[in-house]
Amino acid sequence: MANKIKVKGGEALLLSLIEEGVDVLFGYPGGQVIPIYDHIYDYKDRIHHILTRHEQGAVHAAQGYARATGRVGVCLATSGPGATNLMTGIADAMLDSTPLVCITGQVPSSLLGSDAFQEADTISMTMPITKWNYQVTTASEIPKAVAKAFYIARSGRPGPVVIDIAKNAQVEEMEFAYKPCISLRSYIPRPMLQPETIARAVEMINAAERPLVLVGQGVKLAGAEQKMIELAETGNLPMTTTLMGISAIPNDHPQFVGNLGMHGNLAANQMTQHSDLILAVGMRFSDRITGDVSQYAPQAKIIHIDIDPAELGKNLRVDLPIHADAGDALEALKVGLKHKDRSQWFDFARQQWEIERERLSHTTDHKNQYISMAEVIRSLAETEQGNAVIVTDVGQNQMFAALYSKFNRTRSFITSGGLGTMGFGLPAALGAKLGVPDREVVAVLGDGGFQMTMQELGTIMQNRIGVKIIILNNTYLGMVRQWQELFFNHRYSFTQLENPDFSLIAKAYDIPSERIMRPEELNGALERMKQASGSYLLEIVVLPEENVFPMVPAGASLSDLIFNS
Amino acid sequence: MNKEYIIIAFTENQIGVLNRITSCYLRRKINIESLKVSESPIKGISMFVISAFTTAETIEKVAKQIRNIIDVLQVNFYDEAELITQEIALYKISSRPFRENGRVDALSRQWGTRLIEFSSKYVVLEKTGTREEIEELKQELEANNLLQEFTRSGSVIIHRDSVFDQLHETIENGTKQQR
Repeated sequence: MANKIKVKGGEALLLSLIEEGVDVLFGYPGGQVIPIYDHIYDYKDRIHHILTRHEQGAVHAAQGYARATGRVGVCLATSGPGATNLMTGIADAMLDSTPLVCITGQVPSSLLGSDAFQEADTISMTMPITKWNYQVTTASEIPKAVAKAFYIARSGRPGPVVIDIAKNAQVEEMEFAYKPCISLRSYIPRPMLQPETIARAVEMINAAERPLVLVGQGVKLAGAEQKMIELAETGNLPMTTTLMGISAIPNDHPQFVGNLGMHGNLAANQMTQHSDLILAVGMRFSDRITGDVSQYAPQAKIIHIDIDPAELGKNLRVDLPIHADAGDALEALKVGLKHKDRSQWFDFARQQWEIERERLSHTTDHKNQYISMAEVIRSLAETEQGNAVIVTDVGQNQMFAALYSKFNRTRSFITSGGLGTMGFGLPAALGAKLGVPDREVVAVLGDGGFQMTMQELGTIMQNRIGVKIIILNNTYLGMVRQWQELFFNHRYSFTQLENPDFSLIAKAYDIPSERIMRPEELNGALERMKQASGSYLLEIVVLPEENVFPMVPAGASLSDLIFNS
Repeated sequence: MNKEYIIIAFTENQIGVLNRITSCYLRRKINIESLKVSESPIKGISMFVISAFTTAETIEKVAKQIRNIIDVLQVNFYDEAELITQEIALYKISSRPFRENGRVDALSRQWGTRLIEFSSKYVVLEKTGTREEIEELKQELEANNLLQEFTRSGSVIIHRDSVFDQLHETIENGTKQQR
């Protein structure tokens, strides 16, 4: 936009967001953003503002939107408590590399530092949980700050940014002109490939007998899913995914061997331990993936591709770090890669799968009186045929969803990975649904996590968001209860919940619902949920003390998976 | 093994960069021994000199995390031996022993200090030297019960090779990109 027009700061903010292609804005009004909201009133047809029921709902919804679409999620909150209520989601987005622009109101600049009403030092508080943040104190700064914010949020390793806008800047007049930010001299988001490093990596992969690819979220963030598959097919390499990488590779790909980590599959974890070469792409070797680092992948040389140089060598020593965009690196690696017969190695994967199925069949063999959570997810996967976006909360619901969901499409598994935020699921699901309205979006929640943010049913009601909600109700904070059972001698300290009647809650929000308790009701109920045209809440009363297995106990080696208590 | 490491960082002169840098130490519970921020020879670019005791492995990770801060242009870390390090200290001492015989000049020369100010109540001396030299004089003055006040600058450093070549390159590349 070359022509300058005279507008107020609040309007300049909205014009800037429109320039960045923002179509949905999740927010909650308050004293220090009233001027911005006054302009939103005029821009309702150009920016779809979704009023959540809590600022935490707004930020998680923006995360869900970003994760489902690959675009930047945007949320808006007032100063003080509005800003502090965003913190959990911002920290979550930081750990899970989710591009967010969070806009907060601030007291007028003349009052900064005076403990004014609803003043919080948002910049200091968000510093360790943002990729960048900036306080705007004059209207003329707004377009440049927004341009920089979007550029930083979505480039390189994506992440959350905060723009804190003092009230006076929202009402002052300024000359508006927008220029997108395309580079910063101190910031290199797309590193250059080093041909000699790539050549060395190709040699290492070609020399390997038992290679294993670890697919992380970086593959999705780079939009490199197809390149990943092509590389694996070229070299005949087995692929595994981290929790955040799930859905980047379709489950039915013949070279996909399962999920990694604490509640990963036996095959993926055992192959890690037996592999002679690990190719890690866009992941960060979190402690939930490695188990005891000193016993991790003892026979393997490790090649680690990541766009964030601080991740290379952070959690474990790697033999060949490759600082690169996943797509760039995968494309370059493909050249010169040899197809090798690895039938023994793939046989090993199949054997491990048989062992896992065999060992789990004992633990899931209940008296058929209760529905098992594992069974719910298996049936859901069948009903949805791998086409749904599954958004989880945190805990057992999440781990069962990770273990048994099936995916045909990328960006279909949305979960709070690094921070493990209970209450993430419901608002993230409604945000995802708004981002991909043509796709079926199913929130898989526990009874505990649902109650942390269930006020967002109001957002779903008011905006007619057709998100499907499954509550796995075991009347426990199930994952903590599992740890208490396994490692704290069955002492269930404050993990039992007395729950409300969830169908009455759904009714209060005018959301159709159903409650089932018996295994034979499951398939019909899932089908009815799928057929529902709008939102739907399905409460499934499940086995109260079911455990998620396989499990690598915290701090143990990946070799020491347990299958029962 | 813990030893003293010095990080030299060049950043855009922006509000908040200092907090982001110190936060990289804070989150790992590393105490900063000394920190100096000043304008670098290049206008608009600040130079940070931070010293802390930690391990070689940790300082490398801290340096990478500092480099990731958007406004940071360059980060290098050194152990003390790689740098030429000097500090400036001011010693305020009692003027009592000098009152009669005017030995101040002589003593000041002996201590390797410069006389800054002289009054009936106190004498202020300035010394430039290594941290050990500064510390040595402080202890001597303390032992003789002369020291009233003491202040030091933190490390002023210069590298034997240039730390600026790389910086100039970063800035040049960045400017090219923006064009």
